[in-house]
Amino acid sequence: MLAFIVRRLMLLVPMLLGVSMVIFFVLRLSGADPAMSYLRSANIPPTDQAIAQAEKDLGLDKPLPEQYVVWLTDVVQLDFGVSYMTRRPVLDEILYYLPATLQLASLALLLTLGISIPLGMWAARQRDKWPDFTVRGLAFLGVSIPNFWLGFMLVLLFSVQLQWLPPMGYGDLEYMILPAFAIAFMSLCINARLLRTSMLEAQGQRYVLYARMRGVSERRVENAHVLRNGLIPVVTAAGMHIGELIGGSLVVESIFGWPGVGRYAISAISNNDYPIIQCFTLLMTVIFVVCNLIIDILYAWLDPRVRLGSEASA
Amino acid sequence: MRLLSLAFAAMISFPAWSANSINFSWSVNAGPLNPHQTNPNQMYAQAMVYEPLVRYARGGKVTPWLAEKWQISADGKQYTFFLREDVRFSNGEQFDAAAVKANFDQVLANIKKHSWLGLIKQLDRIEVVDQFVVRLHMKNAYYPTLQELTLVRPVRFMAPSAMPDEGHTGNGIKQPVGTGPWMRQESVLGQKDVFVRNPYYWGEKPAFEQVNVPVIPDPNARALAFESGTINLIYGFEGQISPDTFNRFRHDPRFSTDLSEPLSTRVLAMNTNQSPTRELAVRQAINHAVNREAIAQGIFYGTEEAAPSLFARNVPYADLDLPAYDYSLQKAAELLESAGWKVLKGDQYRQKNGQALNVELVYYGHDANQKAIAEVIQANLKQVGINIALAAEERSRFYKRQKNGEFDIIFNNTWGAPYDPHAFVSGMRTPSHADYEAQLGLKQKSDIDHWITQVLKSQDDSERQTLYSSILTTLHEQAVYLPVTYLRVPGVAKKELGPLKMGATVFDIPFESFKPE
Repeated sequence: MLAFIVRRLMLLVPMLLGVSMVIFFVLRLSGADPAMSYLRSANIPPTDQAIAQAEKDLGLDKPLPEQYVVWLTDVVQLDFGVSYMTRRPVLDEILYYLPATLQLASLALLLTLGISIPLGMWAARQRDKWPDFTVRGLAFLGVSIPNFWLGFMLVLLFSVQLQWLPPMGYGDLEYMILPAFAIAFMSLCINARLLRTSMLEAQGQRYVLYARMRGVSERRVENAHVLRNGLIPVVTAAGMHIGELIGGSLVVESIFGWPGVGRYAISAISNNDYPIIQCFTLLMTVIFVVCNLIIDILYAWLDPRVRLGSEASA
Repeated sequence: MRLLSLAFAAMISFPAWSANSINFSWSVNAGPLNPHQTNPNQMYAQAMVYEPLVRYARGGKVTPWLAEKWQISADGKQYTFFLREDVRFSNGEQFDAAAVKANFDQVLANIKKHSWLGLIKQLDRIEVVDQFVVRLHMKNAYYPTLQELTLVRPVRFMAPSAMPDEGHTGNGIKQPVGTGPWMRQESVLGQKDVFVRNPYYWGEKPAFEQVNVPVIPDPNARALAFESGTINLIYGFEGQISPDTFNRFRHDPRFSTDLSEPLSTRVLAMNTNQSPTRELAVRQAINHAVNREAIAQGIFYGTEEAAPSLFARNVPYADLDLPAYDYSLQKAAELLESAGWKVLKGDQYRQKNGQALNVELVYYGHDANQKAIAEVIQANLKQVGINIALAAEERSRFYKRQKNGEFDIIFNNTWGAPYDPHAFVSGMRTPSHADYEAQLGLKQKSDIDHWITQVLKSQDDSERQTLYSSILTTLHEQAVYLPVTYLRVPGVAKKELGPLKMGATVFDIPFESFKPE
């Protein structure tokens, strides 16, 4: 297992190198001009002289390969450069904003699992009855509703109409509930539907039938055989959900004035603030890869067939 | 439900701002509040903390502020300012001629950054005449000197003790210390800025103790924060509030709303240097065929008014009787017909000598208002047989196309008070704006540039008026521009802030003038 983890972590190095190259050159292929964005944001007329000065200030006056090498050399030393707009070190800013996003994403993950598992179990146990139809309808809604729209609707209802929760801002749980729910809604709906399907599938398996024939109590059959096996695809999906939840925070943070890294990245994208976009992309790559690794480990722990299989082949 | 709601509300309590505060919002933090720098310093906040020598009042009048009076030498090269003697910085330091000179010297030490501004380009040196008299020596006469001294940056004044010990303010300041009615108490990155009253303020103290400015990037989220009471003021140009939301709030008795006088113009520039907008008849026909009133009412709910000319009449030197291009599809069709653009049988669009009447209109893709206007123009012009192709661009590419003349028609708003008209027309001479490229095909281009150069150094008001009349009349007759509406800054406040007051420029938000009822 340790060798597996080390191998996966080693793979991260060429992956990050590839991602760094792709993001660096794709950004510059887009035809956008950060020097122009910088001057317009500063209300400075973009004369040739002003553009040349801005390009020099932002380090854009050198050939592209040279810019890449300079940037990469700095990145290896964990220096991600300075934001074009705020003129502050990018890594400091991203690390400043990241905890808020992780806080929000964690609560969203908690909501996703905490709500989807009971819902999925309920639907599976009440197959083709009204709870099942409700959950299936909800899943349909969940994948169709964009999270930013849901965010606005939640604010309208809970903040403007009922005045139960603050509409925006950074703070305790009361500030987190609405944005976390807006982010989590899609994932929890998908998860509930997935669990329902996989539990129904497990119910038809021979080991469940044999367990029942052995006279094992229905409660134990449900929990030890159906639910445990049904949960395996949910764990796999959770790995992807973490990505979705962090991705979802990109837009939702802007709506709720949540000072996270998503909102920071969105404004960087509209300002063509390359150092931030590059750093953000690399950071997200690391987070995705590490989360998926954790899920793989969890998967092996949960399903002996995977664990024993890999040990047998080792 | 009501009981449940009350119980829930009692269980939780979200921190409200102090009752005696203005709760505004902005899309980003106010920045380090360096008076001599641009990004990431936000102009609304710089204007709260730092003050100018003279101030821009409605209609373009320049009024005394930190300078009580001034004298301009006959050759227009020396400006002598007599400063108020009762002004202190927010740290108690005296504001005097030495402080004025120290600030100008900091700006001049970083002149590369500011040389686009006529005032800085023409400034030779600063002389301290006595403790409260300071003189600006100019290289050449430059009449908009006073107008540009009203700008929010780069020549407002910070305490010399807060300037860096080495280098210049271009590399940062120790702390933001100004003479303005407010000073910053707290700034939390990504969350908020808090301003409190300056205890040493020389003028009337603001009625409110505090201005809280949470960071809210999204205009719809801002509207919801306003409705739910998190903020009590929305004020500012595009991006602060959408026309739909403003219109909704205007009809809500709980809120007071107001609009500033016209402060700039939504206008499109037409390229006289490439076909088919190269032809005067086509440009005039386009001006006749666009229904400005429908745009003002339909898209902006009457919060902006239809613009018959490049500048509104309240802009200095722009109160001219220019014959409007009234909305008439018939006139537009006649102009096109007489210029040889005909609709062949079965065709929807006109053509001449085998060339179709295709015109590309470029807009900034993220600007919902520009998109809506572009679509109306497209529909209007279709009625007279002009085929408009819409091209949405990312922001920097949009401005690049303006600068490089890669357009038939492109959005190109005027810069607004206090830049209009002098800085806007000044920019027409350099290849950095759509105006220069749009005008290149005019045979009068060299005359226009010459008049602009003359007007900027003219010391005689009536001569300036004559020159401005020539410039604006020529541009109007040549139909280089398609003015659409005059922009007004919208403001919405909760009743607790008292009557809403609107500022005289795009950048000043008069927080100090709010008084609770």
